[in-house]
Amino acid sequence: MNLYVLLIPILLPLIGGAVLPLFHFTERKHRQFYIGTVVLLNTIITFLLLCMRPEGSIVILNMAGRLEVALHVDGLGTVFAAIVAGLWPFATLYAFEYMKHEGKETKFFSFYTMTYGITMGIAFAANLMTLYMFYEMLTLITLPLVMHAMDKKSVRAGRKYVFYSIGGAAFAFIGFIFILIFGNMDFVYGGSLNMDLIGKREELLRLMYVFAVLGFGVKAAIFPFHGWLPSASVAPTPVTALLHAVAVVKAGAFAIIRITYYSFGTDFLYGTWAQQVILIFAMVTIVYGSSRAVKEQHIKKRLAYSTISNLSYIIFGAALMTPAGLIGSLTHMVFHAVMKITLFFCVGAIMYKTHREYVSEITGFGKKMPVIMACFTISSLAVIGIPPLAGFISKWNLASAAAENGTVLSIIGIGCLLLSALLTAIYLMTIVVRAYFPSRDFNMEKIADVEDPNWLMKLPILVLSIAVIGFGIYAVPLMNFFAKIAAGLI
Amino acid sequence: MNSNYMILLPVLLPVIAGLLIPVIKPLNNRNARNYYVIGIIALTGIFTVFVASLGDIHLSLWKMTDSLEIYFKVDGMGRLFAVLTAAMWLMSAIFSKEYMKHEHDESRYFAFFVSTLGVLVGLCFSGNLITMYVFYEFMTLLTLPLVLHELTKGSIAAGVKYLFYSMTGAFLGLGGFFFLSQYADTLTFTEGGVLNMTKVAGHEGLLLAVVFFMILGFGSKAGMLPLHGWLPTAHPVAPAPASAVLSGNITKMGVLAIIRVVYYIVGADFIRGTWVQYAWMGVALATVFMGSMLAYKEQILKKRLAYSTVSQVSYVLFGLSLLNVTGMTGALLHVVFHSVVKNALFLTAGAIIYKTGKTKVSELTGIGKEMPVMMWCFTLVSVTLVGIPPTSAFISKWYLGLGSLETGISVFSWLGPVVLLVSALLTAGYLITISIKGFFPGADYDYSSLTKQEPKAVMVVPVVILTVVAVVCGMFPNSLISFMSSLAGTIL
Repeated sequence: MNLYVLLIPILLPLIGGAVLPLFHFTERKHRQFYIGTVVLLNTIITFLLLCMRPEGSIVILNMAGRLEVALHVDGLGTVFAAIVAGLWPFATLYAFEYMKHEGKETKFFSFYTMTYGITMGIAFAANLMTLYMFYEMLTLITLPLVMHAMDKKSVRAGRKYVFYSIGGAAFAFIGFIFILIFGNMDFVYGGSLNMDLIGKREELLRLMYVFAVLGFGVKAAIFPFHGWLPSASVAPTPVTALLHAVAVVKAGAFAIIRITYYSFGTDFLYGTWAQQVILIFAMVTIVYGSSRAVKEQHIKKRLAYSTISNLSYIIFGAALMTPAGLIGSLTHMVFHAVMKITLFFCVGAIMYKTHREYVSEITGFGKKMPVIMACFTISSLAVIGIPPLAGFISKWNLASAAAENGTVLSIIGIGCLLLSALLTAIYLMTIVVRAYFPSRDFNMEKIADVEDPNWLMKLPILVLSIAVIGFGIYAVPLMNFFAKIAAGLI
Repeated sequence: MNSNYMILLPVLLPVIAGLLIPVIKPLNNRNARNYYVIGIIALTGIFTVFVASLGDIHLSLWKMTDSLEIYFKVDGMGRLFAVLTAAMWLMSAIFSKEYMKHEHDESRYFAFFVSTLGVLVGLCFSGNLITMYVFYEFMTLLTLPLVLHELTKGSIAAGVKYLFYSMTGAFLGLGGFFFLSQYADTLTFTEGGVLNMTKVAGHEGLLLAVVFFMILGFGSKAGMLPLHGWLPTAHPVAPAPASAVLSGNITKMGVLAIIRVVYYIVGADFIRGTWVQYAWMGVALATVFMGSMLAYKEQILKKRLAYSTVSQVSYVLFGLSLLNVTGMTGALLHVVFHSVVKNALFLTAGAIIYKTGKTKVSELTGIGKEMPVMMWCFTLVSVTLVGIPPTSAFISKWYLGLGSLETGISVFSWLGPVVLLVSALLTAGYLITISIKGFFPGADYDYSSLTKQEPKAVMVVPVVILTVVAVVCGMFPNSLISFMSSLAGTIL
């Protein structure tokens, strides 16, 4: 098969989105049809590609010497691509309804769709150069989405986002240079460092690894570089749900997994101070994110802090640097994506229909928005880690991997996971209890206007909630696939 | 069809039937709903007994992942707890029929009340740790609406407190699973434990700490120190029939979880003679004493009973911590006796609230004259719980004391019986005084205002049955004792 097909899922949405303003659609329906077709087509093509999984990689561009833009499909890329491609159509469907209120829809959908292409580029990147290129592009292309409302708050949030991201990428760039000099840009499972070249500079290289992880960690919202994420929750919900819970932030986690397992290599890092530093950063973030979420009263921001905490679950798993750790990390990457996007969609639906944004305002919603609140409850229980829902499996995998490691840090890590699970229960169940059990003197008249949204919004939420249950109940094939990745087979 | 699938019957029937209650239109009618509820629960009871009688069957239902399997198994321990639970549920359901008339949202209450039974039976018949954990979490979630049923500010706060204490406990337990799964070949419940000693070698210290935290974690549901705080808050605010099963049965699920972990996964030999055993004994005894003390001081009747539960369930835990057959026999006997007695006590308290609206102990002067049958039952089961021979709790306490002496651990072997005795005195103090005041109100009691307040038969009958069971068990305990001691013998 001609490997140039790998360009299709990248270019189709990029071009499809870029030309959208040229069409001057007069009717909303036509634009929706166009965007829907592009997104759906791209998802289908992507999944076909993932199923066939063509061997080898292809050089698209040779910029200078060893700087090549190359694409391939490997196991890890498949996971990320599948998450993104699987969720994008749902988010788009949801956005069709949601964006009615926000205005400037053409601009929004143009950038939204282009982001799809860039994200696929990250998934299919065959070397660090390509990853880095798409990674920077992702920052720029999503900026207009963050600033969509164009009021003071969102412009400031956008600026913060860009500064954080570019600053982080600069740090990652340092690691990138060192890999260029001391190793191979191509991703190889187990690492691509050339030990002869390194000689006695091992510690320096480990320091560079830490820099690179923290650099990429900005997008993955590692404490203390997480500040942009809660601010960016001013963006329209389809953006917060898809980009700030899945595509953008998981691109950071994805990049960290890439450089840990495919560039620096776990042999070089396992058991060193560099690993310990990353583990500590992840553990601190896990607890910090959950604690801040408990304190936060704005629901969307609360979920943003929850995302911060959960992203570090992924990083914690990756930083264990064992196959089991990688499995746990990937499991949480997939499951958290599904659970958190559902939660965000639910909150978005509440904001869209009722204009209520704070925890204290949703008293009694359980009766008024039965579908939304039921889905919210299911996903909440999943995020907390109640079996047999998806989140339990990922937590089980992560914590078992940590227990298997058996070091003091990983045991403390289990403690952090459990503490965070408890905090998660607090910040999510308080919402659920409040919604379902208003105190008896509560005046239901106050929320007489509240009702479930229409099917454009309900459908994605329902389907994703079913997925949350389904993934938890039957996770065997997925786990087998992850096991193959962690064994370096695909 | 494979007869093993029968295990699912008493689990799924109440869960599905319960959750359907708010959905099915005809069940909006109170009478129809009451008969439906009692019918479902009775049917579940029959199925439970039936499954229990099928012998040691097991069912590997489903694999979530290769290491996480939903697996059911009927063994002696599961049988005991499942049948006990189903029986108590039926009593409480019959009582609820009348009691819930003065509450609101009956259909919500019954929906959760019925489905909780299924979850509990599932918990009893769980064959491995994961399955048990699934049901354990759902038990918390489904009983939450029962706790905060009244929807006052206080009861919602109590519900939230209950939720978070339970989750803390469950997560402590879950944390242990991760380690156990590393050092055991399987997490299936097996008599004598499943630890792989070659894997354990060198990690004993870590594993002991893990086991201790698991005991504390699951001890939360059983109201053991230090995670007992929710119990005296949550049990009293629930409607009385719910308090009855919460105190009588849900707490026992914490006990069951500890039994499963200690005797079926870790193995009693692993912790015998270690600091974990001593610490556990110490915590249990401290809880026994503290619970009785606080109950003695408490003036609100239902709250007093809740503190009494804290104390009494820790009798059971103390018996388990002895790690010998005699102690275990005493503990299992006390599981049954306390369950029966506490249900009767809470139902009586409920009847008093229902008929007179009185909640404080001080208001109960002369209550024996107003509702003699109820208060006679109350008195009889109180005497039973105190442990005056020849009543049932005397037997369980006798075994607990013997078991304690048998361990030969220097301090605890005599401290145990002493604390049990002191606590028995306090129990007499906080229960019998109510009866005394109730029947002998004193000379200044105004007999002219006395009205008969005896509740309807549906309320009286369950309490009478429970009382008869409690008394008869005490007089003819031999078959029960031999069942318990043979059960204890298989796992020790």
